[in-house]
Amino acid sequence: MTGPTTVDGVPLDATPRPGQCLRTWLREHGHHAVKRGCDAGDCGACTVLVDGAAVHSCLYPAVRAAGAAVTTAAGLPEGPDDPRPRFAAAAGFQCGFCTAGMVTTAAAAPGPPSDPTARGRALQGNLCRCTGYRSIADALDGRATVDAGPAGAVGDSVPAPAAERIVRGAEPYTFDGEAPPGLAHLVVVRSPHAHARITRIDTRAAVALPGVLAVLTHENTPSVLFSTARHESRLDDPDDTRVLDDVVRFHGQKVAAVVGTDLAAAEAGARAVVVDYEPLPAVLDAETARAAPPIHDGKTASRIADPARNVVAALHEGVGSIDAGVAEARAAGGAVVTGTWRTGRVSPASLETHGSRAWLDDDGRLVVRSSTQVPFLVRDELARVLGRPPESVRVLTARVGGGFGSKQEMLTEDLTALATLVTGRPVQWELTRTESLTATPTRHPMRVAVTVAARPDGTLTALAIDVLSDAGAYGNHSPGVMFHGCHESMALYRCANKRVDAEAVYTTTPPSGAFRGYGLGQVQFGIESALDDLARELGLDPFELRRRAVVRPGDPFVASADPADHPDDLAFGSYGLPECLDLAQAALARDGDPAPTGPTWRVGEGMASTMIATIPPRGHRAQAVVALDAGRYRVRVGTAEFGNGTATVHTQIAASALGARPDQVELHGGDTDAVDVDTGAFGSTGTVVAGTAVARAAEALAGELRDKAAARLGVAPADCTLGPDGVTAADGRRVDLADLSGARGEGAHGGSPRSVAFNVHAVRVAVDTATGEVRILRSVHAADAGVVINPQQCRGQVEGGVAQGIGTALYEEIRLDDAGRVTTRVLRDYHLPQFADVPRTEVLFADTVDALGPFGAKSMSESPYNPVAPAIANAIRDAAGVRPRRLPMTRDRVWELCREADLPE
Amino acid sequence: MKPFTYARPSEASEAVAALAADPDARFLAGGTNLLDHLKLGVVEPSQLVDVNRVTSTAIEDLPDGGLRIGAGVPNSDLAADPRVRERYPAVAAAILAGASGQLRNMASTGGNLLQRTRCVYFADPTTPCTKRDLSQGCSAREGWARYHAILGTAADGCIATHPSDLAVALVAVDAQVQVLGPDGARTIPIGELHRLPGDDPTRDTVLAHGDLITAVDLPAPTPAVRNSTYRKVRDRASYAFALVSAAVALEVRDGTVADVRIALGGVAHKPWRATVAEAALRGRPATDDEFRAAIAAELDAAEPVRSPLGGNTFKLPLVTGTVVSTLRGLAGGTA
Repeated sequence: MTGPTTVDGVPLDATPRPGQCLRTWLREHGHHAVKRGCDAGDCGACTVLVDGAAVHSCLYPAVRAAGAAVTTAAGLPEGPDDPRPRFAAAAGFQCGFCTAGMVTTAAAAPGPPSDPTARGRALQGNLCRCTGYRSIADALDGRATVDAGPAGAVGDSVPAPAAERIVRGAEPYTFDGEAPPGLAHLVVVRSPHAHARITRIDTRAAVALPGVLAVLTHENTPSVLFSTARHESRLDDPDDTRVLDDVVRFHGQKVAAVVGTDLAAAEAGARAVVVDYEPLPAVLDAETARAAPPIHDGKTASRIADPARNVVAALHEGVGSIDAGVAEARAAGGAVVTGTWRTGRVSPASLETHGSRAWLDDDGRLVVRSSTQVPFLVRDELARVLGRPPESVRVLTARVGGGFGSKQEMLTEDLTALATLVTGRPVQWELTRTESLTATPTRHPMRVAVTVAARPDGTLTALAIDVLSDAGAYGNHSPGVMFHGCHESMALYRCANKRVDAEAVYTTTPPSGAFRGYGLGQVQFGIESALDDLARELGLDPFELRRRAVVRPGDPFVASADPADHPDDLAFGSYGLPECLDLAQAALARDGDPAPTGPTWRVGEGMASTMIATIPPRGHRAQAVVALDAGRYRVRVGTAEFGNGTATVHTQIAASALGARPDQVELHGGDTDAVDVDTGAFGSTGTVVAGTAVARAAEALAGELRDKAAARLGVAPADCTLGPDGVTAADGRRVDLADLSGARGEGAHGGSPRSVAFNVHAVRVAVDTATGEVRILRSVHAADAGVVINPQQCRGQVEGGVAQGIGTALYEEIRLDDAGRVTTRVLRDYHLPQFADVPRTEVLFADTVDALGPFGAKSMSESPYNPVAPAIANAIRDAAGVRPRRLPMTRDRVWELCREADLPE
Repeated sequence: MKPFTYARPSEASEAVAALAADPDARFLAGGTNLLDHLKLGVVEPSQLVDVNRVTSTAIEDLPDGGLRIGAGVPNSDLAADPRVRERYPAVAAAILAGASGQLRNMASTGGNLLQRTRCVYFADPTTPCTKRDLSQGCSAREGWARYHAILGTAADGCIATHPSDLAVALVAVDAQVQVLGPDGARTIPIGELHRLPGDDPTRDTVLAHGDLITAVDLPAPTPAVRNSTYRKVRDRASYAFALVSAAVALEVRDGTVADVRIALGGVAHKPWRATVAEAALRGRPATDDEFRAAIAAELDAAEPVRSPLGGNTFKLPLVTGTVVSTLRGLAGGTA
């Protein structure tokens, strides 16, 4: 040893255990600016400086740091070279989980930051799943994009309230902050079979090990059936899942949970659990699943559409006649296109994995701190599974390190809660990256067959889809994803003859679930590709075909059902789609990188347009309370911040309504104790539902403040104006805010009526027919988000969605082998887009004001993802003349298409 | 992770002796590969012997104009060294083509050469893998074989590839590896360090237990080596392992190939020196047709994998295209 390690200048005199990595050691001693995103040096969230050199602390032996100066994001030197203020000024983060590692890497990066190659290389070891990296590039360049001023009304780019803490690693996430005394750890034993019955579990050896506190199995946990998916109505998803089951239905399913006094003890216990299995037939292919033996036999009360055929959900309906529509197109000299498209299994891969920490509070109430988008819905279902009254359970979040839909599930809270109830101790379970990639829900892989027909002028005469969705082992989100995926994708187009045949089927593969776009991206990949072929056959420009074929105000929204039979609450609160088409087409025509030269490079352009409802159907509730306390406005709202920016937007909405500065507004959210109800942060509702509740609460409070001040000043309330310091009458007299303490306002929103938002993506690509390489030369995205409450933040949501769309389009795929086992088990095998992979996207907003959303705003969080993959596919088609039909369009798949077409090598 | 002990000797000979005395002990250098494998349960050593303090971190000039690179030199320092960049451009380019800044800061020169394959089956102890355990079969042959070998494989045997970019470049420049073992010091030409799988794929190299790489010597650069580069083809622009890579050095005089070195990565259990192609090219005109014919001759022996889940026959044209365009660039001075 050469003296103690110093961490951010302070000696840390503690001896690491053999094999302990620097990250775990630092976090154990309270240095929570060091994050855990993987365990393999792939993500960079744990980056620290050791004597000035950036390293992944997850791969750095802690003992080797003896005598070294370790610097975390919390301890970077202040001054002109400090990247942290630049990240705050450029809004260079969304969830912020990657940010501490990102700024630490940036602080040590040599070379001129404006050189894109050097920048890409410097950040090669840091992943961000949220931003799409443009705002990070701006941060490195020192370009400020947020408004620094005190205003902060709707329409300003107000910085996130947590910005300063996030760039210093000081904002707590789920597992940051002081651990409760006696914290135990949970480790799960997982199935080595895709489908098997457990014939015996022997836990005796595990229980006998030192430090093992309990072993949970299907024999000592509740057998109540539920769904991990959470919705406003718990009846939306089939009750087909147990906490721990005696049948395993996918490779990696949890079989037993071992609770230990520390992680090592729990891991040792997990290794000692003996499980005997009787293998059952694996069903790995959705195409054959309906003829396979039932996977959920006997679950007659579980709301499974057809358990005998392994069908979770089915939709077979139409309007008009497809045959007649096809005949009409042919008779008119138009065109008919049919084709089949397939999408891949994609992981949401938020940088913070799933996890939770449970304990009993002083009153004996069960408290669960979880990385979730839906604390209220988790509380309700947890209470149901545990057989306790809901009020005896509290679920809360810290800042959530990304979710993208994947945290609209109850994946860990049941086990940590049970472990706490059994042992009486606080228990935490933080999924490893490999667990996240192998056993948490992915996007539903789909096979989408499309028939579309049109008259020569582009009038659609038939539009039909046949969709097969792979639910995986459990039905969580499968009905919703299927219905939603087939809805707005079809309803976007006016056509007298429509038909949807869709089934979601069980297979013995990892469950699919909720992920940004909720099925639309998959179905739209098929429909938008087919429409591109249709435009080609008709000799129409693809933008022009959309202009002629899309719905317009006054039209009913028809996916496959007659609106007379199925009235709904969807309405054109605003309509910016034509403007989006114009904006994207004009932007695509200008600028862009030069095409590579050489005989094998081909250049082409492609686009796709999409629609999304701004709120999920059948109710989505939010409630907010705003109280004035000592000159500050305290806002309570149920929704959690997970990088979607609601904390910023809610602050802005409250400040706007109250004439206040954003720094006068304090949010308390993500806690079942904050308000009575909140459906949660999903379905793109953070702004339009929870934001409306905040707006209503703030407006109610503003009214009360005006009334009170008017009474004191003896004037009419209408003559009073709210400002940052108080309420001022027309004659200039003022009542200070401090004198109005205690006033409060409440607001709520039930999620209806709903509006529609639009997105158009367009790209120019170069395809190397010799190698299959696809380069994006120009990327433009036009969005109709209504009034944009925070332009920088909304732009970031669009760019992040586009980056995830590029990942889906070109690289990302969770792959299974022929035993149903995931082979992409670490991030180096599952390719998330990195800095160097994502082109800059020009983001354009249509100028609309929504009649239904708060301040005229619409949602814009899921939808930017949806049109990206078909736009890229259509551009590849345009460039090389080959039609991609399977995602991801990896280099070897494009190369094979080029070989089949006999293109130059 | 299974418990183990940790030793940090101050002399190389102590480290070698510590390993020699314990068949389950392992050297720990940069740790970027080993710590990952410890967490995954791929290796379960009884003891880690840290060699960080016993291997040189210096890059020294050799009297003949070459360089001696201490085994402890971090990859980032090696790539940044002006002598390396000027005299051995393929070596610097190869390092920068791999990993991330954080990893290059940690990874050592010796450890880079000894990193294990990135085959997904090797990295997962729950799947059969003949490289981890000779008694098991190979999962990749019927599984995901995109990244796997097409050259030097044996029927039904291991088809893992060696993942190091640096090693490929070092093979092209004929580096010499200095090794200290229980029986003393010796020198191994880099081309002989790594093995083909043969009947024992568990062994990546000819090193015996306790052999410690102490340095890598680069011989004085020839004109071809000064005109060398490294080309890596991967799934995306950023951090990924090579589908195919090539370290190529070329000297052309009067339109004729005077000297050429071609080493391939991503195609075999070891960095693959394309001796057949080199012999075919020497003295021939530096034209695309000649380049193409030469690499075709090299690939005559290739046996791509046709796995039901994704084979790697695409690597044949990919190697050809990569090598031909790299040679073309070097011949035109534009690589």
